[in-house]
Amino acid sequence: MDSLRRAGLWVASLALIAFVAGASPASAQTRGDLAIVVHPDTPVSDLSFTELRQVFLGERQYWNANVPVVLLIRAPTSAERDAVLNVIYQMREPQFKQYWIAKIFRAEMTSPPKVVYSNESANQLVSSIPGTIAFMAANDVKPGVKVLRIDGHLPGEPGYRLHLSGK
Amino acid sequence: MRYLFAFVSCLLLGAAVPAFAQGDPAQHDEHLAVSEGPSIHLRGFTDIDFSQTDDKNSPDGFSLGQFAGHLSASLGPKVSFFGETSFTARSNGFTVEVERSILRYDYNDRLKVSVGRYHTPINYWNTAFHHGLWLQTTITRPEMIQMGGTFQPVHFVGVLAEGTVGPSGAGIGYNVGVGNGRGSIISRAGDAGDVNKNRAWLAKLYARPAALYGLEVGGSVYHDEVQVANTTDGFPELITGAYAALTTETPEVIAEFANVRHHDRATGIDYNSQAFYAQVASRLTAMPAFKPYARFEKMLGEQAEPVFGDVSSQTTTVGLRYELTDQAALKGEYRRMRHPVIGVVNGIYVQTAFTF
Repeated sequence: MDSLRRAGLWVASLALIAFVAGASPASAQTRGDLAIVVHPDTPVSDLSFTELRQVFLGERQYWNANVPVVLLIRAPTSAERDAVLNVIYQMREPQFKQYWIAKIFRAEMTSPPKVVYSNESANQLVSSIPGTIAFMAANDVKPGVKVLRIDGHLPGEPGYRLHLSGK
Repeated sequence: MRYLFAFVSCLLLGAAVPAFAQGDPAQHDEHLAVSEGPSIHLRGFTDIDFSQTDDKNSPDGFSLGQFAGHLSASLGPKVSFFGETSFTARSNGFTVEVERSILRYDYNDRLKVSVGRYHTPINYWNTAFHHGLWLQTTITRPEMIQMGGTFQPVHFVGVLAEGTVGPSGAGIGYNVGVGNGRGSIISRAGDAGDVNKNRAWLAKLYARPAALYGLEVGGSVYHDEVQVANTTDGFPELITGAYAALTTETPEVIAEFANVRHHDRATGIDYNSQAFYAQVASRLTAMPAFKPYARFEKMLGEQAEPVFGDVSSQTTTVGLRYELTDQAALKGEYRRMRHPVIGVVNGIYVQTAFTF
């Protein structure tokens, strides 16, 4: 009887630990964070937030002389796109469109970013095409891509500033 | 195997990553195929205008604005082409003009070299908006950068190097170029060759600091020798300018200043003409389709100026821009211009400008 009670206590304790671990702030933050991913061969592992913004604005177009930046953007009405427009671009949708039209008109770029319709597509393309950079929910990141540190932090770490809520 | 993988990747890119066609995510070409030729992006800008002024000598009523077609093409991993052609309504028909034709090689972000015909990279407005009237908040350009105007050379034929310098966070960029300079008609570029043996050169330095989001500040220098009809000696020309532009929309602030100096070799006198403008606009937070704006501009010249005479004028503009859609705008403005010869001219202007 005692051993049964002891086993029950163990199971209850394990269940409690699992519940607490599952609901911990770190885990919740990971699910709610926005990961910046690049092709594994990209010669960058850590970007400051301002450097990231320059890449996303098309101000930085080459990782090095041989590897151009290939920027992938999620199609409208995705939480990832809303977060990126809010935090990185600080633009509304119309402004975002105008920004790229103007960028090409000024002969600063030949084409706008490529659009992807899902994080799965983004994963496939980033893992296949050198120089590609994309963003996705941190829990959708698959093996074969490199997650960038932003200001020294990875998604889920304290101090990471890119969240899906965009706040 | 490697080639097969690359081929599959390319197909995947073509199928799942359609071009951000015409800058409008809602208009993807989902059947974009990967071709071996250049990838081309086309875009058009045009406008339709109405004006009513109290100047008896200028035409009023409806007019077609410039119809500008813009093309950009990637010719390879590092080589690209930009072209722009315009159709302009005249009293006797339409004129067709090759506005830009640029072939560029990118070594990296720090060095891009190109040849062709450009919007002269002096100050801000001329390269930021030029024929893209939908891109600019107001109906017209400032007087100092008017199309067909003489104050600044708006086009440049030659070779240009551009890129970034310094730490990436500073966002410092440069343009350095050598070209033909102004043509025999000084409002035009020397498209068919230089009219004299003195090449024009220019240098521009600007900063888009990442920490001060939306801000661009810069300065430029342009030197040429201008050939004026019925004179044997050219007039050395030095243009210096500076600008600041904050394009966050709430607010948008653009200000430019330029000084044009012409040296008269016969008398040894330097003639300086100045121009500046300051434009303020702000998109209304509660009604983001509306954007009121105002601009004040002034040009100061000298009566004896030997190249383009006295350019003095003062113009005040107030207006309202309304976004009909994400790619079409309706603008209405009141403008008051004071000119030493014409006098005061008041005008109401309406424009619909769009891109497609």
